[in-house]
Amino acid sequence: MDDLVLSSIATRQDDIISIDRLIEWFDISEEDVGNLQSLTEIADDVADDTIDAFYEHILKFEEAAAKFADGATLERVKAGQKRYFRELVHCELGENYLEERRRIGQIHERAGIGPSLYIGAFGFYLQRLARSLQDQNALDSEQALSRFLSLVKVAHLDMAQALETFVGAREATIERQQNEISDLPTPVLQLREGLLLIPVVGAVDGRRARRLTIELLDAIREKRARAVVLDITGVSAVDSAVANNLIQTMAAARLMGAYPVLTGVKPDVAQALVKIGVNESSLNTSGELQSGIRAAESRIGA
Amino acid sequence: MELVPILRQGDVLIISIMTALSDKDILHLQNRVLDKTCKSGVTGVVVDVSALDVIDSFSSKTIIDMAHAVRLLGAQTVVVGIQPEVALAMVLLGLTISDVPTALDLDLGIALLKEGRPHAAE
Repeated sequence: MDDLVLSSIATRQDDIISIDRLIEWFDISEEDVGNLQSLTEIADDVADDTIDAFYEHILKFEEAAAKFADGATLERVKAGQKRYFRELVHCELGENYLEERRRIGQIHERAGIGPSLYIGAFGFYLQRLARSLQDQNALDSEQALSRFLSLVKVAHLDMAQALETFVGAREATIERQQNEISDLPTPVLQLREGLLLIPVVGAVDGRRARRLTIELLDAIREKRARAVVLDITGVSAVDSAVANNLIQTMAAARLMGAYPVLTGVKPDVAQALVKIGVNESSLNTSGELQSGIRAAESRIGA
Repeated sequence: MELVPILRQGDVLIISIMTALSDKDILHLQNRVLDKTCKSGVTGVVVDVSALDVIDSFSSKTIIDMAHAVRLLGAQTVVVGIQPEVALAMVLLGLTISDVPTALDLDLGIALLKEGRPHAAE
C-alpha cells in the first residue's frame, strides 16, 4: 500500500529508492539520528525566531512578497515550515517521511517556488541553528560540531527528496505538454470525390507525423482518393526527421495510387527538405494551397 | 498449374498476385507476362497486389524491371492495390518504384491506362 501511494506521488517511478538505501547513501548512522533528536528543544526554540526572521528577509523581495500577499497565507506557510523543521530534527526516517517530503516538493513546484528559494530557506535555517548550537553552554565545541554535521547530513537527504520530486513534477509537466502537441488532431478532409486535403497546423513532432501518415493512407483507401493535397502552411517548424516523415508519407500515398501535392512550403521547411536530399520532382510542390488544389484537380480530371 | 493466372480483358492484361511469391516464382511470372504481352499485343498491364500484406525488395525490383520491359514492348504497366502498411514499409525500405504508375485498385488502374493511352480520343 505504501508503495502504491509513493508511486502515485513520485512522478518518476525509477527514482523511487527505498528509505534504507537513502540512509545508507547519505551515510546517516544511529548516532546521527540520536544527535539530531537531542536537538529537539533547541530546534523548537530556534524555529519561531528563524522563521520570523526568514520571512522578514524574503518579504524584502518583490516576487516573494507577491506570493504571501495576504496574512492568512503567510501564517499557514509559517506553521507548515515550523512543522517541517521539527520533523527534520525528530528524524523519524521511514517511508512516511519520504512520502511527506515528496509531497512537499510537489507543493513547492505547484506554488512556483523554485529550488533557489527552497534551498535558500534551508540554508538560512541551518545557519541560525548552527549559531544557537554554538551558544549552548551545555555542549562543548566538539559536541556542537558533531551535532551540526549530523544535521547537515539529514538536511541534504531532505533537500534531495524535495528536489527529486520538484524536478519530477517539472518533467511530468513538460511531458504532458509534449503529449498535447502530439495529440493535436489533423483532419483529413474530402474536398471532392477522389480529392483529399490535409491542412497541417501547429507544431509537428515525430509522433504526430507518424499518426498523420497512418490516417492519410487509411483515408486514401477508404475514400478511394486519387489525389491528396498536404498543406503545411500552418506548420511553424519541422526538423529534418519530421520533414523526412512527410516525404515518406507522400511517397507512400503515391504507391497507393494517389497523386500527392505538397503546398505551403516555407523557406525554412524548404531548407530542411533540401538538407535531407529531397528533390522537388517527387513531391509535386505547389506554391500555395489554391494552385495545389488546381494541380490535383486537373490530375484527376475533375 | 501456374501460381498466378494472367487474364486478358480487352487490351489489358490483368495479373493478380494473391500470395507472396518466391524469387523464382516472381521471375517466372515476369517471363510469362513479357511473353504474353508480346504475343497478345495488349497496350496495358495491370499488376494487382492488393492481397499482399508484404512486398519484399526483390519483388519490387522485379516488378519495376518488368514494367520497364513492358514499356519497351509498347505497353504501359500500372501497379494497383498497394495497401497502406505495405506502402509505408516500401517507402521505409526505399522501394518507391517511382517511375511506375500506381492506382488504388483494379478499376482505377484500368481507367488510368485508358486515360494514358495514346489513342484515347477514338
